[in-house]
Amino acid sequence: MNTGQQIYSTGVTLAFALAVPAGAVLYLRHFRVPRPPVGTFNGRDIVVMMGFVLALPFVYLALPGAALPAVLALVFAGGLTVGYQPVVGRTPLRWALILALLATDLAGHRLLGSDSPVYWLANSAIVGLVVVSATNLNVQGGMRLRHIAWFVLALAVYDLTFATAIPLTQDLVEAIQGYPFAPSVGLRIGDYSSVLGMGDLLAYSLYSTVSYKAYGRSGLRLALVLVAVFGAILPTLTPPVLDALTGHRPDLIPAQVLFGPAAFAGYLALRRRGPERRMVELTTLPALA
Amino acid sequence: MLETGIRQIRVAMAMVFGRRMNPRLVERLVDDALATLHEFGSPGDDVDQLVDGPFNDPNERRDLQTRALRRTARRLADKSVFYRERFEAAGVDPAGLTLESLRSVPVTVKDDIVARSADMMCGAPYISTQTTGTTGTPTRVWLSRYEIELWPALIALAMLLRAEIRPGDCMQINISSRATAAIQEDLGLFRLANAPARVVGQVPPDESIDQLLDRTGPAPTILTAYPSYLGQLVSAARRRGLGPDDFELRTIFSGGEVLSPHLAEAACDTFGVRRVHDPYGVTELLPVGGRTCLGGHLHLDLNMGYTEVKRLDSDEPADVGELGTLVVTPFYPYRECMPVLRYDTRDVVRVLPDGLDCELAGVPAVSKILGKESRLLRTRDGIVTQRDVIEALDGLPGVEWPVRHRATVAGDGRLHLTVAARGPSPSDVVKAFADRDLDVTAEIIELDEDEARLFHTLRCDLREETFTRAPGPKETP
Repeated sequence: MNTGQQIYSTGVTLAFALAVPAGAVLYLRHFRVPRPPVGTFNGRDIVVMMGFVLALPFVYLALPGAALPAVLALVFAGGLTVGYQPVVGRTPLRWALILALLATDLAGHRLLGSDSPVYWLANSAIVGLVVVSATNLNVQGGMRLRHIAWFVLALAVYDLTFATAIPLTQDLVEAIQGYPFAPSVGLRIGDYSSVLGMGDLLAYSLYSTVSYKAYGRSGLRLALVLVAVFGAILPTLTPPVLDALTGHRPDLIPAQVLFGPAAFAGYLALRRRGPERRMVELTTLPALA
Repeated sequence: MLETGIRQIRVAMAMVFGRRMNPRLVERLVDDALATLHEFGSPGDDVDQLVDGPFNDPNERRDLQTRALRRTARRLADKSVFYRERFEAAGVDPAGLTLESLRSVPVTVKDDIVARSADMMCGAPYISTQTTGTTGTPTRVWLSRYEIELWPALIALAMLLRAEIRPGDCMQINISSRATAAIQEDLGLFRLANAPARVVGQVPPDESIDQLLDRTGPAPTILTAYPSYLGQLVSAARRRGLGPDDFELRTIFSGGEVLSPHLAEAACDTFGVRRVHDPYGVTELLPVGGRTCLGGHLHLDLNMGYTEVKRLDSDEPADVGELGTLVVTPFYPYRECMPVLRYDTRDVVRVLPDGLDCELAGVPAVSKILGKESRLLRTRDGIVTQRDVIEALDGLPGVEWPVRHRATVAGDGRLHLTVAARGPSPSDVVKAFADRDLDVTAEIIELDEDEARLFHTLRCDLREETFTRAPGPKETP
């Protein structure tokens, strides 16, 4: 990878890593997702989420090749229709938009190939919107910074384990290659390529949005700095730096290994400012300037 | 959030299939509701459906109630000697019971409970509670430990979700300390709602006012008292020149007697509350109860029991507009130890048409309780209810609540009222009733406190003395 490609990779990763959380915060400020009569996010939900994180890769790998994109398309469609009900109230219109996005993704992949910018832009739009939706379902369900801080710390351990001791992450990357509805965002233009996994993006989006919910603009600023440095810049720059220092370039740097501890430290720092804000305190927020 | 959903499903399944509920499960849902209120300030969407059930569809309602009735009847036939005999005598198969065939089973009356309570026992008794005996015969009702644990949890959940109680509330309980079931229930639900309670009882009204003003602990925000005692509290507060700024109250619950709009309004003005809730509850039927809406209708809980309105003079159902008595069957698994089937409360209501447009329109309603059947006054102009009389008298100028009176029907069929009051004249009374198209004759008498209590007994007369103001022991010369 030359310098230009490196700059491209870092720049695109940074752009997605900041744009999707910003979109999630914007959504939080303008829309309220439906919620059940009783129930708020708690520590046990983090355990359940972590259970999904542990189980899903095995499910993905166990599925026959052609079934994986079909399952992902269904999951995306479900996530989009639930999350964008407050944005596009009319169900037929909402479904028409969702199907148009999915069709563009599929057509781009089939007609132009899996490296086509059209496919990657459509896929990134879908995954980005799903992440914004999933983020708000959790944050507006009462997720607290404490929850997501522990979650990303657990993800760091998970990422380190499955990237080094058990090479599941690499297997998963290979398994989804060549199929539409890849659970990742990115853009490939010729030799220039940058891809960011949906799980990482969701972690950044959750952390940033919950930081905003909990501590307002100052919380969001700190979160975005942590996401930019430890979620985008360091993970993309570490391989060439290691290459230059050791002569060995690793194939994959699990981003959560860097982001998790930094995010947890960020939580500890923010916690010193006082108790987290609750959803009830957000309902009267002024519209975004 | 996920485990809350699972808990809700488990409770809903128990409700639909009529299985015994785990009180701990409902208690945890109360914790979930508290956490929800803490985070969001209010419950989420479709909360009405969760609290009041899916009863907007009459067919669904009928189906759910028929199934609940059958399982209740099957259990009664299995465990209650009294009801096994009843079903056999009526030739009714409990397993095939319908809302129509239920009417073949004679109603259960208070005398049945007094005479045959042992034959009605269906569970392990844990605590006995005795009604206050306002009709002359107190009834002893046994409750199981399951009931004592389940009811407060169910009621706390419903009240939290309806915002009738909130975290940070403090309830002052001014009902008779002998109403053990109601007090147990109130204390239990406030414990679960993580809110303090002051059990004051029916002490002299001025001492209750002192408690309402007391700021050494959490200030009372909710008051529960019988209407007659509430009247005494309003009168006492006004005598002392106290007003809304002196109290922290936000809600008053006042049931067990007829509450007039005049007294409710006076309580709102005096204590600074927006509304006096007028709930309906009977010890023999707990936890089935009713709520009064802003439209003045009584909406009875359909989840926990089946309600009929029976004509005053026969077992036939009363038609729309007619007076009748409330007949209620609490469902299993809400009532376990000493359940009743078709219990005739003798509380008179008027049947209302369907399609009411109040805030509780999804739950069928009857009129507010109009009084006891035994106290209906059959005059030449028609039936006059306790409510008619109390509402007219409570609006008299210058009266102190509660207004004590005796109402009789004279030989000529006219209503005659003897009112113990200072202030109004007989003509004021006649005019107040004439305004309601009621032709009465009236006299005013002045009685001291003890004479007044003997003249007309009210629930506020279940007084609980303290040494605070009671006369001290006489010194030995």
